[in-house]
Amino acid sequence: MRRYVLRRLAVGVLQALGITIAVFFVIRALPADPVSRIVGMNPTEDSIRQARHALGLDMSLFQQLLTFLGFHGNGVFTGSLGTSWVSGSTVLSEIAITLPTTIQLIITSFIVALLVAIPIGMATARRPGGKLDKGVFGYGLFAGAQPEFWWGLIFIFVFYFKMGIAPAPLGMLDPMLTAPDAVTNFVLIDSLIAGDFTAFKSALGHLVLPVLTLSFLLVGPLLKMTQQSMSRVLSSEFILYQQASGLEKKSIGRSTLRSALAPIITLTGILFGFMLSGAVLVESVFSLNGLGQYAVAAVLNLDFPAVQGVILVISVISLFVYLGLDLLLAKIDPRILVK
Amino acid sequence: MSLKRAISAAAIFSIIVPTGLFVSAAGSTAATSQVTFLSEDVPAGLDYDGPSAAIPASQVGMVNLMEPLVYYKKSGKSPSGVNLLKFGYNPADFQGRLAESVTKNGLVWTFKLRKNVVGCKGEKFTADDVIYTFARAKSVSGAAPIGYFLSAVGGIKDFATFDGKVPLGDEVKKIDDYTVQITQEKENKLFLPALTIFGMGMFDKEGMEAQKTAKDPWSHDYANTVNVPSFGPYCLSKWTKGSEFVLTANPKYYGGKPAVSKIVLRKVPQSANRLAAIRTGAAQLTERLTPKEFASLKAVKGVSVGSVVGNESLFLNMNYKVAPWDNIKVRQAVAYAINYDKLIKNAYYGQAKKWKSLVPSTYPGYSVPKTQYTYDPAKAKALLAASGYKDDGSLKLTYVAEKESTLGPVVTQIKADLKAIGLDVQLDPLPQTQFGDRQLTKRDLPFAVNDQEKPIGVDAGYATYLFFITGGLNNMDNYSNKVVDDTYKAIATEADTTKRNAGLATIQEELAKDVAWVPVVEFATQWAYSSKLTGITWHPDNCVRFFDLKI
Repeated sequence: MRRYVLRRLAVGVLQALGITIAVFFVIRALPADPVSRIVGMNPTEDSIRQARHALGLDMSLFQQLLTFLGFHGNGVFTGSLGTSWVSGSTVLSEIAITLPTTIQLIITSFIVALLVAIPIGMATARRPGGKLDKGVFGYGLFAGAQPEFWWGLIFIFVFYFKMGIAPAPLGMLDPMLTAPDAVTNFVLIDSLIAGDFTAFKSALGHLVLPVLTLSFLLVGPLLKMTQQSMSRVLSSEFILYQQASGLEKKSIGRSTLRSALAPIITLTGILFGFMLSGAVLVESVFSLNGLGQYAVAAVLNLDFPAVQGVILVISVISLFVYLGLDLLLAKIDPRILVK
Repeated sequence: MSLKRAISAAAIFSIIVPTGLFVSAAGSTAATSQVTFLSEDVPAGLDYDGPSAAIPASQVGMVNLMEPLVYYKKSGKSPSGVNLLKFGYNPADFQGRLAESVTKNGLVWTFKLRKNVVGCKGEKFTADDVIYTFARAKSVSGAAPIGYFLSAVGGIKDFATFDGKVPLGDEVKKIDDYTVQITQEKENKLFLPALTIFGMGMFDKEGMEAQKTAKDPWSHDYANTVNVPSFGPYCLSKWTKGSEFVLTANPKYYGGKPAVSKIVLRKVPQSANRLAAIRTGAAQLTERLTPKEFASLKAVKGVSVGSVVGNESLFLNMNYKVAPWDNIKVRQAVAYAINYDKLIKNAYYGQAKKWKSLVPSTYPGYSVPKTQYTYDPAKAKALLAASGYKDDGSLKLTYVAEKESTLGPVVTQIKADLKAIGLDVQLDPLPQTQFGDRQLTKRDLPFAVNDQEKPIGVDAGYATYLFFITGGLNNMDNYSNKVVDDTYKAIATEADTTKRNAGLATIQEELAKDVAWVPVVEFATQWAYSSKLTGITWHPDNCVRFFDLKI
């Protein structure tokens, strides 16, 4: 097991480095010069030259790469992702603010989605063609046909604007509240650390609509996967044998779920990696200031250090998520390690 | 757990829990004298010589934390009740801010500084702060040296070399703790106007020097990322980049404690969400909604919309180095093809007016040229035929993609208007950075819609200097006209305002004859705010000064 983990980590580090270097060159091939945004609308040639020098863009590409990696001072190898060309702050400090918001949103959405998808998927697998199955089919068509930001706007319109029971889509906290001191940058956790239950309640309330929006979309594929996987396992010989042996339904249900979990976990991992940057539209609709929004702004502003930093961080997180999932799968089915 | 129970639990979780939280979170605690201001972004940096100085949201932070030496006086109101300013060039046209008075003797300006000015941490303002500010500007040490640039625009002596190796000399001289003299290179009307711009705010020397490092002796990193010590009406109390910017009133501000004690500036990228929050009272002030959204608020009880045609405009730029735009008949055909009235009605909901010249109509030196272009499709067709240009469908009309919600209706109508005279242009949205790169650095955009040029120097001469003299800093069309160049040269150092204005009128006539740009509309700068909020004032940088507000 230990060798397996170390081997996976070593390969993952190389993958992350490879992706980062590839992004380093790809983003520099874009047909625009980031200097024009920095110097404003009335630049002199001197100020353009000054800005180019300040950003290190007057060095050769190879020199820039070495600087980015940390061969000339601080860089990736020394734990620095550089300084944002838009704000002047370190990229690491900006990611430390935006990433927790996204992680908080995604994890909560997955919890809700799995809590809904797995029981319903199990039930429909046991009674194919029933009312619930038909309802699930209709939901799949309905929810899957609309983009998530559209659902977000609909939810805002209905629950906030019309019914007035949801908070305004203005970020993670009520504008009148002071945010708790940042310790982890997870507002829910920080408010608990500070003992600020008003802020905690507000943050929880502000998460409801974004979570509802994301989980509304996530439930679709997870439910479908649960249903198919359960159907396959339910018709397998060992379950039929359990039924024929007269085992309790509860016991059979546990065996079925355990055997059906592998593809659901795999799908969850894939969706999680995708959502790290794919939640951007939901973040934007609800003004959440998450990593996806940060990444999009970085690309639009040609903020090269920020783009490189975000991609490296997403790669590393995805690496750990996939590793964690593989370990979980191995726990469920130890044959994986042997293979 | 049985399946039935599992399903029930899921249903309860997905319905009851969110509803409960909704109810608990919908209420909010009210605080007195707080204004929540929603905008597309919050300041990305506070150093006006830093990388984010060109971002409007950053300028909002700078102008509310920093204080200039002088500023324009208030004068009158727009029809919607927005306070206006009076523009000019002479000391009498300005109010003293950190400077109590200004006198001019030849090329030497003497500033008597205000005593008992105290910053957020109790620091006192003296002549040393002024000297520090100009020395920092002259160091050319930031990524985008705006302070240096504005000093040069104002004609301050010895602000011509750009290598940062020439230290500040006696062009900015401390006479005593409360008197400073600044010497100009030659006569230049832009001296006082330049001092009002966000990139000329005064730093607190002590506060800045306390943050300097060997690598960063002018504390750019601190101002970019933490705070900017100065003497403004507000103090920074919280700043989460990309999310929130909170200011509290400086109780010792020399102009009196601000009426609004706390300002919460929130980033809400979606204009529809800003609109909803204003309608429901969750916020008290917002900006940069689409014209349609502003129009929809006019009948909403408890919400006011303030608008002023200030210095924002929309024009078409056509590149003189790219065919067919080098052909004056094609340019004239385009100018006659646009249905201006329809555009004002449909795209701006009446909150715009036909632009008659190529400098903002509120700026000193503006004049209406005799040559005007009105909607005349028959004339446009004739001019296009006379130009000899045969349309092959390859022309593109470029615009900023991020402004789709505002510019979408505009470019769609322009495309239809041009098609009606036989020009089938393709719409070409480009990301802002790419648009800016091609406009400013490469100068190779053939044909574009532009609504983001507002000369920060409030003067028709400054606009000419930027956009229209040969090789001008922002001459995006590569325009060149000897009459314009020579006339500008003659008036650049002209002290007599009447003679200067006559020269500027000649320039504006030439620009109109050449169709240097197609001036389309001057559109209103607008804000939506709670009806309880008063004091909104239009400033040439379009940034709200929170000190103006009362609630």
